[in-house]
Amino acid sequence: MLENDRNQLHKLVEEALPELDMMIGWAESCDPLQTTPVFIRDAKSISKLTLGPFCSQNLAGYLVKPPALDAPPKPDAKPIGICVKGCDSRSLVALIQEKFITRDRVRIFGIPCRGTVDFRKVAQRVPLANVKSATMEGDSLVIDDSGTPLRLDLEEVLARKCLGCRYPNPVIQDVVIGQEAKPRSSSLAATYRDVAAMDAKPLEERLAFWQSELDRCIRCYACRNACPLCVCQDRCIVETREPRWLTQRVGIPEKFLFHFIHAMHLAGRCTGCGECERVCPMDIPVTLIKEKLNKIMEEMLGYSAGLDPEAVPPLLTFNPGETEI
Amino acid sequence: MRIGVFVCNCGTNIAGTVDTAKVASEALAFADVVYATNYMYTCSEPGQQEIQRAIGEYGLQGVVVAACSPRMHEPTFRRAVEKAGLNKYMFEMANIREHVSWIGNDREANTRKAVDLVRMAVGKLRFNQPLFSSKMPVNKRLLVIGGGVAGIQAALDCADGGVDVVMVERKQYIGGKMAQLDKTFPTIDCSSCILGPKMVDVSQKENITLYAASEIESISGYIGNFTVEIRKKTTYVNWDACTGCGACMEKCPAKKAEDYFNEGLGTARAINIPFPQAIPKKAVIDAQFCRQLNGKKCGVCAKICPVKAIDFEMKDTIVTEKVGAIIAATGYDLFDHSVYGEYGAGRLPDVITGIQYERILSASGPYGGHIRRPSDGKEPTEIVFISCVGSRDQSVGRPYCSGVCCMYIAKQAILTRDHLPESNSYVFYMDIRAPGKNYDEFVRRAQEEYGVQYIRGRVGKIYQRGDRMVVQGADTLLGVQVEVEADLVVLATGVESSSGAGELAEKLRISYDQYGFYMESHPKLRPVETNTAGVYLAGACQGPKDIPSSVAQGSAAASKVQSLFAHDMIETNPQVALVNERNCIACGKCIQVCPFGAIQWKELRGGIKKAEVLPSVCQGCGVCNATCPPKAVQLQHATDNQILAEVNELCA
Repeated sequence: MLENDRNQLHKLVEEALPELDMMIGWAESCDPLQTTPVFIRDAKSISKLTLGPFCSQNLAGYLVKPPALDAPPKPDAKPIGICVKGCDSRSLVALIQEKFITRDRVRIFGIPCRGTVDFRKVAQRVPLANVKSATMEGDSLVIDDSGTPLRLDLEEVLARKCLGCRYPNPVIQDVVIGQEAKPRSSSLAATYRDVAAMDAKPLEERLAFWQSELDRCIRCYACRNACPLCVCQDRCIVETREPRWLTQRVGIPEKFLFHFIHAMHLAGRCTGCGECERVCPMDIPVTLIKEKLNKIMEEMLGYSAGLDPEAVPPLLTFNPGETEI
Repeated sequence: MRIGVFVCNCGTNIAGTVDTAKVASEALAFADVVYATNYMYTCSEPGQQEIQRAIGEYGLQGVVVAACSPRMHEPTFRRAVEKAGLNKYMFEMANIREHVSWIGNDREANTRKAVDLVRMAVGKLRFNQPLFSSKMPVNKRLLVIGGGVAGIQAALDCADGGVDVVMVERKQYIGGKMAQLDKTFPTIDCSSCILGPKMVDVSQKENITLYAASEIESISGYIGNFTVEIRKKTTYVNWDACTGCGACMEKCPAKKAEDYFNEGLGTARAINIPFPQAIPKKAVIDAQFCRQLNGKKCGVCAKICPVKAIDFEMKDTIVTEKVGAIIAATGYDLFDHSVYGEYGAGRLPDVITGIQYERILSASGPYGGHIRRPSDGKEPTEIVFISCVGSRDQSVGRPYCSGVCCMYIAKQAILTRDHLPESNSYVFYMDIRAPGKNYDEFVRRAQEEYGVQYIRGRVGKIYQRGDRMVVQGADTLLGVQVEVEADLVVLATGVESSSGAGELAEKLRISYDQYGFYMESHPKLRPVETNTAGVYLAGACQGPKDIPSSVAQGSAAASKVQSLFAHDMIETNPQVALVNERNCIACGKCIQVCPFGAIQWKELRGGIKKAEVLPSVCQGCGVCNATCPPKAVQLQHATDNQILAEVNELCA
């Protein structure tokens, strides 16, 4: 089935490429559990494109990060092709809402997603160096490490964000590749079960948890750089002197402030794509902070980011009638 | 930076609970502080001279005064440091009176908090920059919103002073509630006789442009330079042609239209001029009742009109006016008494409101000035007045006193006796509020000369018995239950804010209280100013008011406008937002959230877009700064670094 989908993708990209500036997708890497982003301009490279449970990167950010952000698009520029999963498509919608990209600038290849594998979870079960290949079969991931094939339950190896996924199918697309996927969650409670579990703990315990988690932060800013909606990049206020919100001092207060500035800047914008947590080299569950804000947004304002390109995010508008909030 | 700190005793206001000498001595130890002292009254002439002397003697580059609220004396001290040669923004104020000495008695804790506040002010001052205002021309035209007596007074006063006035009134006539009144207290002079000439003046003054049947669509700009869009509502009559002859009214076959001017006591024609003295005297078609506009064959008015003014195809039009100042005089509305089930909730036809009774008393009213009751047209002999209907009643969300009802009940009771000498009037009241000049004497006259029976107590129930109504209440002075059989009951419905007051306030960007009354800038010292420069208040839009107070406020607001218009140029406020283009990522969020439309795109070479603040439109609210992710927009004099410096000092 995956083979069919891949062939369909290659065929569709081949047809579309002459009209495209470039195609952004995933390619296999040396590691069977991970893929790498690939930027394709010529037909010869199309065969590199792949899809499947290891395509974990959200590629939407490449459309708006420097140098893409610095140079305004030329009026006659061709659209850019991009592969998106359900969660990635919401990032695109959010970027369209905020007018960072226009809809006609992108050709969207939508890929229904059955969940992405967090290779770090696999590594806890089997040494990564031994893994020869891995395939998804039904509800399990089958690992070939030269011995007896190891069957791992998907619930154990999928990325945390995938377990409560409500939107596995792209919410915006030009073409769709493969069969529609079934959502793993259909309720707020299931999507935000980790937030609820955290909320149930006493305040001191929560504080202690975040102090110990954030203490590991090395302020590498990978979470910020990977976030498709963190568009300030090298103008980020955690690195400027004017204004000088943060010093380079290494301490928990600075790390707290950085992560909470990041979260507050995403309030009402975060689509929960989980990139920040995926790229964290220190395994800090940083998406959880944003999930808490997303939950508040849904409960208080009935708003989920990245679903409707025409919607105005509630925190990005001035409405004098909103006196009740 | 060389900083001087001046701690004010404010007599005993501050020194009573704060050790000001200790605050000064501790301040002297702060970095950059080269001089610190305390003083009896820093705002006094010698107090200001002390600051100016110290600036010279110690070469101060910045000054901190720890005293009262900056709302009180910041302008005073800014002027003082400016006179001594400093930029006036190299000054900070720490509020150790309202925020410290007035709210706590613990001298030690107060002193500690005062020291903290001074340290924060010093911390901020280190990051202050000199700021400079520019000059903007003043457009010497005035917009008056509302054509009631307060608005009329303001417009006439300004027009007399040579100011061009634009008046907008949403009804088809000016005169407001006063035009509906029969007589006015406490002199019993005829309302339309004293108001009429003023209304005529409005229409005849060459420098007053009147837009009746019009509403404010939008307001942009700032003091000295407002742009106002006015929606002229569809009247279906070309007012330029209409002569007010009234021929259309006579022939109009739709006779069952709502008579708003007579408060629903009679009926009107679908094409109508509400009363003979109406200004402007122009007809308007009520689309709800017009036959032609409801798809029936008619058009009688169009045939009869001698000047062919009828236009069934008419649409709303928008006109734009540019003005330099605005007076809001939008008046009030009356409480809807139907929430009171015990008073019949509007179901009993002979339970009427005070304003309906005014129309009954009026010679130009629905009954030609004869007192009759609406149900059967009989002359009443027993009349009950009930005060505080929708006033001083927390349970209906109206805890305030409407201020005028006690007086108009007394007036109506007196007039009733004049009209019907055989009648008996009863007034159920909670307290009698008659604090104006000759007011209490007037109420006494009602009681003593006119035999009006005042019963202190509330009415519990009104119900029908035969063709009369039984009013059951308590006489709390005698401690007994009383029952009056009445032919007519008049409810003194209270004053509430004008419908749509909130929406207009949003357009004017002025604040309003929970009841919709507009907030004055200071309840005692700035009663007709708002916190938006160039916008003034007159009349009952600011709170319940009688005619003399409304007229006085109209004149007061007019004098404020004229003192503004005495200047050709005004200084702009430099405390506005400014974009650091290097940091701007062109996300446009500031443009999206700016409530004033003060931010726009600017294109640099190579088509790179950046946000740009229009300093003359910016009101310095800071929403853009809060929204900007890289904080490229900074509010001058409240920059992130200045505020962070304060926070750091507080946490130090």
